[in-house]
Amino acid sequence: MRKDWIGIPALGILLLLASFAAAQDAVEEMTQDADPRPGEMMEDTAGVEGTQLQPAVEGVPEEPGPALDVPGAITVEDKDNDAGDQLVVCFEPPADTSGVFAYNVYRRKAGETGEVSWNLVKIIPVLGPTLFIDGYDPEYPIEPGTRYEYRVASVSLEGEEYFGEPQVAQAVPAGELYHTGKTKVLIAGGLFIFLIFYYFGKAQRGRQMYLRPIAGIEAIDEAIGRATEMGKPVLYVPGLSTISDVATIASLTILGRVAKKVAQYQTPLMVPNRDPIVYTVADEAVKQAYLEAGRPDAFDPDSVFFLTDSQFAFVAGVNGIMMREKPATNFYLGMFWAESLLLAETGSLTGAIQIAGTDAVTQLPFFITTCDYTLIGEELYAASAYLGREPKQIGAVKGQDACKGIIMAFITIAFVLSILDMVADTETLEWVRRIVTVPIVD
Amino acid sequence: MKRTVPLMIVMVGGILMMVQYFIPHQYSQAVFDSYVSWAPIIAAFALILGVGSLTRVHAHKIRRKAENWQYSWAVLIPLYAMPVLAHIWPVSLSGGMDEPSIFHFLFMHIQVPIQATMFSMLAFYIASAAFRAFRAKSALATVLLLAAVIVMLGQVPIGDLIAKWFPQIGLWILRYPNLAAKRAIMLGVGFGILATNLKIIFGVERNWLGGAGK
Amino acid sequence: MNIWERMLNIDRRWIFLSIGVVSIIPFLTKIGLPVSTTEEVEDIFTYIDSLGKENAIFISFDFDPGTQAENMPMGVAVMRHAFHNHVPVFLTAYTPLGHGMAGGALDYVTRPSTPGYYTSVDFDEWADIRNAGITDRDELEAAWEEAGNVLPDDSHGWVFEGRDFVYLGYAPLFHLVILGMTSSIETQYPSDAHDNPLSEMPILREHKSLREVDLAVTTSGSSACTAWVIYGREKIGLPVAFGVTAVSATDYYPYIQSGQIIGQMGGLRGAAEYEVLLQQNGITETTDKAFTGMDVQSADHLLIIFFIIMGNIAYFMGGFHRKKQLKGGR
Repeated sequence: MRKDWIGIPALGILLLLASFAAAQDAVEEMTQDADPRPGEMMEDTAGVEGTQLQPAVEGVPEEPGPALDVPGAITVEDKDNDAGDQLVVCFEPPADTSGVFAYNVYRRKAGETGEVSWNLVKIIPVLGPTLFIDGYDPEYPIEPGTRYEYRVASVSLEGEEYFGEPQVAQAVPAGELYHTGKTKVLIAGGLFIFLIFYYFGKAQRGRQMYLRPIAGIEAIDEAIGRATEMGKPVLYVPGLSTISDVATIASLTILGRVAKKVAQYQTPLMVPNRDPIVYTVADEAVKQAYLEAGRPDAFDPDSVFFLTDSQFAFVAGVNGIMMREKPATNFYLGMFWAESLLLAETGSLTGAIQIAGTDAVTQLPFFITTCDYTLIGEELYAASAYLGREPKQIGAVKGQDACKGIIMAFITIAFVLSILDMVADTETLEWVRRIVTVPIVD
Repeated sequence: MKRTVPLMIVMVGGILMMVQYFIPHQYSQAVFDSYVSWAPIIAAFALILGVGSLTRVHAHKIRRKAENWQYSWAVLIPLYAMPVLAHIWPVSLSGGMDEPSIFHFLFMHIQVPIQATMFSMLAFYIASAAFRAFRAKSALATVLLLAAVIVMLGQVPIGDLIAKWFPQIGLWILRYPNLAAKRAIMLGVGFGILATNLKIIFGVERNWLGGAGK
Repeated sequence: MNIWERMLNIDRRWIFLSIGVVSIIPFLTKIGLPVSTTEEVEDIFTYIDSLGKENAIFISFDFDPGTQAENMPMGVAVMRHAFHNHVPVFLTAYTPLGHGMAGGALDYVTRPSTPGYYTSVDFDEWADIRNAGITDRDELEAAWEEAGNVLPDDSHGWVFEGRDFVYLGYAPLFHLVILGMTSSIETQYPSDAHDNPLSEMPILREHKSLREVDLAVTTSGSSACTAWVIYGREKIGLPVAFGVTAVSATDYYPYIQSGQIIGQMGGLRGAAEYEVLLQQNGITETTDKAFTGMDVQSADHLLIIFFIIMGNIAYFMGGFHRKKQLKGGR
């Protein structure tokens, strides 16, 4: 109830903003349809952009040079795998490029008239490629479903433009419903998702699955018990990352279990947070755990708190808590960066039992050297399966293992192929690599 | 109801974003763009909750005159003073010497040194941890110890003075054995993330919503 | 308790004190040990060296003051290099405190008290020249000097705000800002940190989105740098270079091997290497803070190795290797 009052005005403002944004979008859409900003276009065309490639002739009267050869046919194709906001434009360079400094490519909506309606969308140096993707310029976006008209000018060293014939685009930009460049991702993702669901189902049907014991997880109860015996608090740091980090989510899952145990033993708990959203979720998780343990009265609203979003100020805060309150047990579970050793070493100074877990590989050595138990990488994610022993959770862990099996098989094949290639001087590995690798898309 | 609605939102949102990845169409792009626009707004509101929490905890301490309650003032006063000062004297943070402002002064001469001090403590703690951890207890621990010494020397000019090839060995350790181990862990982490995300999207994992139970 | 046991259980404050003393001495004596350069840093240097006034780079200060001793010299060195070659620079920050760091770096490079500084010309100061339609880098400098402005003797050159650099600073949820900038920089930053409208800046007119930018150098003390790879490199193929703290440098070697980043400056050493390259190529007369810091780091590493050796001597001489468990020195 404490902070519920914040939620009401916050929700109100959010809704207000949403409706305002929607209204603004609608107005903008109408304005765009009605007015293609002709005045601005003209100004832009003659403005800064043009001057970049035009040699400066300030103060010198321009003398028209000899007429230049003009570019030829323009072909326009719709670009694949886009949102209908890009076109592939190609033009034939003039047969004689002598005296040509660059090409200016102009675009307007088909059917528009007047010089003012042309927008300069691309300047290409004379030796540059005559094929380019139009639509990247945020000032002159391409609208899906609109037919455009192009013209290209040869630009002389003096800045004179000699226009080729305007050409209505052969293609209309249209968005695609499937990105063909992502098929490999879809296949691999689909396979891995299938495997995880397959093991979900298997576990659900009551199939017994073995999980390798993890010392760090098994020590959680013992660590809380020690704090209870000593009458000292338990400190739980759910990492320094945001809620979008899976390590944080895994940590909050474990926090729920730890809080339940702590509530049963009636041991004080302290959960400092760096991220406000993580704080909100952690607060809710601990409150719910106390409720489920049948001890809602024992829940201290100040036990879960936000410290600061600044990395090292947070460390200073937590270290201060450790030195003052001397918690008997410290949990560092979640995402950590350079602060890991600062936290764990201070904790070891106070003599606390420490259990850490992170998927930040670089920080693992620090935790391993200073903490009693460390969950390495994916062990952190598997912790909720270990603690809850729910069939689906265990199935997910098995699914992960199956996925890893596939990757291990691939690595082994690649290893063998690389040796064979070395011996037989072939390029099989490169061939396989081309099949498997995903190029930069978009 | 309290749990069903958030779970539905997560499921619909999760599947939508997954599918969106494969659809480049403008409508799909519009969904993604609206997410990009909304996320900072929601994050900004969350900050209000955070500041509220910090204020509440320290206000309680001061009211109850709990142990070391005086320090709570040291938290609360700067917490509110810095934004206020930034708005009263909204001089750019890069103002430098020619544009002094109280905000700039506090940032450069209090916040920066304090944070630098915190990070520099790492050097002291690493020395202490290395002293306690690097023992040649077994053959593997000895390999680890030697690798650490080579990398440490290879990273500083002293390594160059010892022998030209010394830093090369250090780099080799970083580029190959270190990377092999790292990749193995990263692959496991990657699949862990995939499985956890699926568990969240399909409601198998619900504890993050609050609560330790089912 | 025998001497070996006492040695193993040494009060850690002695270790702290030794580190403190050993860190201070090299600052006073300035040994100047030579720093050799590595491929990871040379690649960044060569890439930036190949750029000119028609290109543009981002230098993102994605760190908090805590790691500025390592990260700041990287940002400063790259900025100097870009300013020397007249490569336009966008300055951004991943965190609110990084905003101050970006401003601090710019301030340092353009402050007359810094050796080899660049003389900054505010956006408003050259408004007349801009309004006259002169925005080309060389013409701008000529027009500026023609207007009676003289470059101080000790200055390395002019840098024009809005032409040679723009200080964009911090924007919330920066990873989404990077994503947004792949379409348009101006929609994410309508004005710069000094409230100058971006739409009027030549740097933006020529580089409207990240697609028209040639490199992003991210200096980072956390995993913030990966956002540039995820949203910049993977989405539009933006070349990215990392400048990361030594403690996290090993994390990012996979990105180099996979070709996702063009190079990496790892810790103070990486920054010192860049300073050495700048000096060797005549871009700066002297090296800077990172190079000086390498003496300190050498001394500290030697001391840590000394402690490790002493610890092991005590461990074996005291016969502790025969015991199963050794209690650490708490």
